[in-house]
Amino acid sequence: MRQPIIAKLASAILLTGPAFAAPDFTRDIRPILADKCFACHGPDANTREAKLRLDTHEGATGGGSGTQAIVPGDLDNSEAWIRILSQDPDEVMPPPDSHKELSPAEKDLLKQWIIEGAAYEEHWAFIPPRKPVIPDGERSPIDFLLQRRLKSEGLAPAPLAQPETLVRRIYLDLTGLPPRPEEIDTFLVDQSPEAIERLIDNLMKRPSYGEHMARYWLDLARYADTHGLHLDNERSMWPYRDWVVRAFNQNVSFAAFTRWQLAGDLMPGATLDQKIASGFNRCNVTTGEGGSINKEWIYRNAVERTSTTVEVWMGLTAGCAVCHDHKFDPISTKEYYSMYAFFHSTADPALDGNKLDTPPVIKVPAAGSQVKLAELETTIENLGKGITEKIRAVDYKDPAVLAEPPSSTNKTIIWIEDGPPSKAVASGNTPWKFVTRPEPVFTGERAHVREAKGLSQHYFTEANPPLLIERGMTLFTHVYLDPENPPAQLMLQFNDGSWEHRAYWGKDLIDWGTQNTASRQRIGDLPAVGQWVRLEVDIARVGLKPGSKLNGWAFTQFDGKVFWDQSGGRVETNPASDPSFSWTAWKAQNENESNKALPGELQKVVKGKDPAQWSESETQRIFHHWLEHIYAGEIAGLKLLQDQRTKAVQEKDAISKQTAVTFVMADLPKQRDSFVMKRGEYDNPGEKVTRSVPAFLPPLPAKPEGRDYNRLDLANWLVNGKNPLTARVAVNRFWQQFFGIGLVKTSADFGTQGEFPSHPELLDWLAINFVEEGWDIQQLVKRIMTSHAYRQSSVTSAALQEKDPENRLLARGPRHRLDAEVIRDQALNLSGLMISRIGGRGVRPYQPPNIWEPVGFASSNTRNYKQGKGDDLYRRSLYTFLKRTAPPPFMATFDGPNREQSCAIRGRSNTPMQALHLMNDVQHVEAARALAQRILKEGGTNAEDRIRWGWRLVTARYPSREESQIVLTALQTHRNRYLGDPEAATKLIAFGDSPPDPDIPPSQLAAWTLIANLLLNLDEVVNKN
Amino acid sequence: MDPALEYHHLQSRRQFFQGAGLKVGSIALAQLLSQKALAQALPSKADIHPALPGLPNFAPKAKNLIYLHMNGAPAQQDLFDHKPQMEQFFDKELPDSVRNGQRITTMTSGQKRFPVAPSKFAFERCGQSGILMSELVPHMKGIADEVTMIKSVHTEAINHDPACTFVMTGSEVPGRPSLGSWLSYGLGSESQNLPAFVVFTPTVKNPSQALFSRMWTSGFLPSKYDGVKLRSAGDPVLYVKNPPGVSSGDRRAMLDALGQLNEKSFERFGDPETQTRIAQYEMAFRMQSSVPELTDLKGESKATLEMYGPNAQKPGTFAHSALLTRRLIERGVRVVQVLHRGWDQHGNLPKEIKNQCLDVDQPTAALIKDLKERGMLEDTLVVFGGEFGRTAYCQGKLTRESYGRDHHPRNFCMWMAGGGIKAGMTYGETDDFSYNIAENPVHLNELNATILHCMGIDHSRFTVRHQGLDQRLTGVEHVNPVKPILA
Repeated sequence: MRQPIIAKLASAILLTGPAFAAPDFTRDIRPILADKCFACHGPDANTREAKLRLDTHEGATGGGSGTQAIVPGDLDNSEAWIRILSQDPDEVMPPPDSHKELSPAEKDLLKQWIIEGAAYEEHWAFIPPRKPVIPDGERSPIDFLLQRRLKSEGLAPAPLAQPETLVRRIYLDLTGLPPRPEEIDTFLVDQSPEAIERLIDNLMKRPSYGEHMARYWLDLARYADTHGLHLDNERSMWPYRDWVVRAFNQNVSFAAFTRWQLAGDLMPGATLDQKIASGFNRCNVTTGEGGSINKEWIYRNAVERTSTTVEVWMGLTAGCAVCHDHKFDPISTKEYYSMYAFFHSTADPALDGNKLDTPPVIKVPAAGSQVKLAELETTIENLGKGITEKIRAVDYKDPAVLAEPPSSTNKTIIWIEDGPPSKAVASGNTPWKFVTRPEPVFTGERAHVREAKGLSQHYFTEANPPLLIERGMTLFTHVYLDPENPPAQLMLQFNDGSWEHRAYWGKDLIDWGTQNTASRQRIGDLPAVGQWVRLEVDIARVGLKPGSKLNGWAFTQFDGKVFWDQSGGRVETNPASDPSFSWTAWKAQNENESNKALPGELQKVVKGKDPAQWSESETQRIFHHWLEHIYAGEIAGLKLLQDQRTKAVQEKDAISKQTAVTFVMADLPKQRDSFVMKRGEYDNPGEKVTRSVPAFLPPLPAKPEGRDYNRLDLANWLVNGKNPLTARVAVNRFWQQFFGIGLVKTSADFGTQGEFPSHPELLDWLAINFVEEGWDIQQLVKRIMTSHAYRQSSVTSAALQEKDPENRLLARGPRHRLDAEVIRDQALNLSGLMISRIGGRGVRPYQPPNIWEPVGFASSNTRNYKQGKGDDLYRRSLYTFLKRTAPPPFMATFDGPNREQSCAIRGRSNTPMQALHLMNDVQHVEAARALAQRILKEGGTNAEDRIRWGWRLVTARYPSREESQIVLTALQTHRNRYLGDPEAATKLIAFGDSPPDPDIPPSQLAAWTLIANLLLNLDEVVNKN
Repeated sequence: MDPALEYHHLQSRRQFFQGAGLKVGSIALAQLLSQKALAQALPSKADIHPALPGLPNFAPKAKNLIYLHMNGAPAQQDLFDHKPQMEQFFDKELPDSVRNGQRITTMTSGQKRFPVAPSKFAFERCGQSGILMSELVPHMKGIADEVTMIKSVHTEAINHDPACTFVMTGSEVPGRPSLGSWLSYGLGSESQNLPAFVVFTPTVKNPSQALFSRMWTSGFLPSKYDGVKLRSAGDPVLYVKNPPGVSSGDRRAMLDALGQLNEKSFERFGDPETQTRIAQYEMAFRMQSSVPELTDLKGESKATLEMYGPNAQKPGTFAHSALLTRRLIERGVRVVQVLHRGWDQHGNLPKEIKNQCLDVDQPTAALIKDLKERGMLEDTLVVFGGEFGRTAYCQGKLTRESYGRDHHPRNFCMWMAGGGIKAGMTYGETDDFSYNIAENPVHLNELNATILHCMGIDHSRFTVRHQGLDQRLTGVEHVNPVKPILA
């Protein structure tokens, strides 16, 4: 987690300003007591000294052994005050060995507070928010409350920001992408509040809105694409990430957003999205390390989920209470473990097994494929009905019972047509490739083709039903050799459990098996080219025994281009005794046999039973099955329907294969017993606990009949509007997103160690309003963005900088460095390289060598970084594959968290590593070149115009004359240099996978590439201004 | 000088000071605000990595830290903890009184037997001090008189991931700053052209254990305190090289324009961060020449190169990393960490550990000698060790020639040398099986407290507020530095 450290100094200046003359317990006193006293005199009974607690009024004023720590209004008799003033090292408080010391300012506050009666108040965040009075007619309560404070500080809000600055600020804040020039133009025409509202509405409808908003949530959810510990193998979690994007785009209310993520699996009739959302608490790091102790990891995972949930929704650092009663907040260990009990019975295994799909998971069909799948299912069902009708209509005459038995006949079993047979697993040096007419096709709709240099093949295994080898059978296939590029050798290989059955034609170049044996038998010369030819192999030549079953078949060749089509077996047979012609013969053959080729339920009927014992309906079903699947005679129209169905089934299977899995939450059927774990040790259970919430918060509703509380009850409790924390914590984080710092600066800690809000009334107003408006995130965002505070200029003065360096008072607008993803996305977007496809498995853009490799475990499946190609290089950063133990450099360098734990606040560091990255990373240099191409093509014809155009594209404003001049001078330097060194120019513009524009002279493009690189490195461009 | 500009400089420095968000132990607000402290805190114009005000707490014995981490856990019985008594127990059951029901990993908890596996390697008393070392580390024997060997280090974690995370961050749970990040945050660095904290991850033949970036990143501290990896493939420092076709002169021209334009940006918005950004781009430019200069070994004498062994000039080896480590320390870099993988010998230990030692023994000894010869050892602290130890009993098949050892967090050996540490001392003792600590246990938190102490930091006061707690490297429970080993 990257979080700036609390600047006590800055806040001290702020909070001791003239507005705060009289000490307020919550704001002024409690933080002092918490910091300096509670470690020994606080809520934790185990470490309490002298039985004195100063966190409650009763504790502080209860008379101990004749003395009283605090006597309200009476300084001289307050033992605490006497001790504070004491010079005796054994007496003075805080004691010297605590290394805690009260400053003179703090002492003054305490003194004043005791004199005024030592009033205690409950911690501000634990009491329900109160709605401040807003005078009628105030357009923006936000501005009213902010400006009231400003006024008391002798300050005034800044004027509105320049429209160009503001439009870029709005676009970046809502979509994470800069505005296009024409969008800037539109904004410049009308900046009325109504126009801004319309703009916000429109931007919220863009998919990029959800992508941008999701980023912040994914930091909290500690989302990543690997398990995080030890092997750090890939995990399939991205459908959850895509759901978060979807949820923001659909403006799912924060209440529903909460319920789904904490308990989507428990919702009645849970939808697919609700189940996906429940993956929130499967995003934590897990281990599959050999030697790990299950109990320990079940415990740790539950602790992680509890602490994260409490931090994300309640803004409390409950982790302290894992080992001991919380030192500062009223959470006892017992209360902590009572919340932990909600997460202690989850159904995921202790160890992740280093698997992509550690259960429980669900399947998520690819976007848009659900409709297609439903269509295919209907098609398959209808074809099935058609087939059944055809079968029922057959007037079958068994040749075995005919008065005049028919003479022998040829039976052809077409096993491979238009693709591998049913259930087959297809493989090859490269996947099977198909062609349709007018390319050569022998029968059916398509043929399979292979073009090879040297040895190459495609094949399948595991076909079911298999091809039964019969006495005297001939196996066949059809080939068409490309006259332009004929092969040197053709080979067929048959698998009856082993592949040692090979027939070949032409040269002997493939050296599998032994020449002149069944494992490598030459059948003849290559057939004629440019026409379909049937190749036949007698089973005896390749050592296949009657009764054996083929499950696999390989089409193998050496060099050349070969089209393959219809393949199978042919045998001469006597219909009267052939089970594939005679029902009687088949029954006899299958008497008491188990027949694996039959569907499961029919197998049961046939097995161990005489056909005579079959019931009427059983006989009927088996007979129909036989007709449909085994009978080799002609049934008019059946073949066509069957082929259509096979095709539809294959198509459906192909789509299903693209179906992703994602981790979801589920509970064990039987709840685990939960205990206080003493000292936070997994093998040290203490008192038994039941599911509950801390006593200082509103209680759960009455326990439901017949079951324990579950995660859904907990989620409902969080968003029932009565919890004093949930809404405050949520609105504060959204505030932080837009202003760079929360009203409560410690946005992950609303406890007594957290910081007092800069504007408590505003925070309360926002929280109450948020709940009243149905936890509507877009409404909240709109309210924030339409405030003057957001729209005002961020220009700061020395005096203001001195008074309020962190901009807590908002006498100016927000200005800060863009986040890691936004910096990269902006460059891709401005250069025109960005591919704005939504969702899918994490992609692997440019990454220098040796980021993954030097840390990865040898057997980890994320040891070697295989860079993606094409579109994968230019997707939004949200979709970059995130390996936790070696995160992508663009994230790590720009304060992106590694997602090992929840992160509520990113730092904003400013380092030379960032400078090197933006100047030299191929991603940014390529983007600069592409941007240069745009400038040259779209930016006019002379250098001045182009500089103006490019500058405006990246900053949203036109450059000043001076600025233009500086760029122009640089351009001239670069131009001269590259005119003199065309080789260097060619090298620079060739950096990156996308080809440079061949129409632009290399030296010109190179010079402009460095200018674009300059523009993308401008302070104004890497900042939101 | 332009008075307005001067004011801006002051502002930007003050902002820097405030932005760093100091909360150092008990330094009182008033003290922080006093002019003297403020003056100390303001970095001089050239000071890229300033120290926190008030740090060091007292005069440091060591200015720099070199941490040689043997990832995977070297077997202490085969390197430094000589147990001749185990010989009589060859293939006999580890006595119950020794194991005492202590937990073991699930890799061996299913074993029917726990036969004792004595080391097959010969030990020798070395130097004046008589510190015991095995034949596996012939070169280290030569530096025995420089080190304090601690035989009684212990930790809690029994598996690699949590143990590695603990040894480097003081917590088994990810998310805390690494030791190097703490030090660069607290003490800054004297180098103006190089990062404060540099990390090597040399390549090994058998990378049988993983590393984690959390072992050198800054956790909840700002990412500027991340360890910067010096890499053996690609750019030695990420993106330090200009793109193809861009010369240093081209970059200078671009940066001149950028500097001017960013000054305009500062005039426009008045944001002190802009001034910092200008300075960071200049630092980046300096790194573009200081890094190649660093990795250019032309100036090293033949004798020095030979001392580090045959791989001294081969990028990506431990030897090359060790040599560069000395060059980094010479250039004022505060912390260098070398993480060498492959020490997880569950089976076939004697053969594999030999290979591991071939990688590290000679360069490690050379580094100590080299530092000493240059007078740098006295203010450089060197730490050598792993994340836990290995078991006395055999995992898998046991013969005289071959055996394996499982994880053992209850005791293991580490050594320290240089600034602030006694030379030629052995501290702590284990039982006859190197299975339990017999005297003077040293918890990793105590070891880290000792490291901070040598560097002039009172670990108990070196805290950062995070998640509602004053977090420290050395944990919640109070610990002390190991006084007896301090020089």
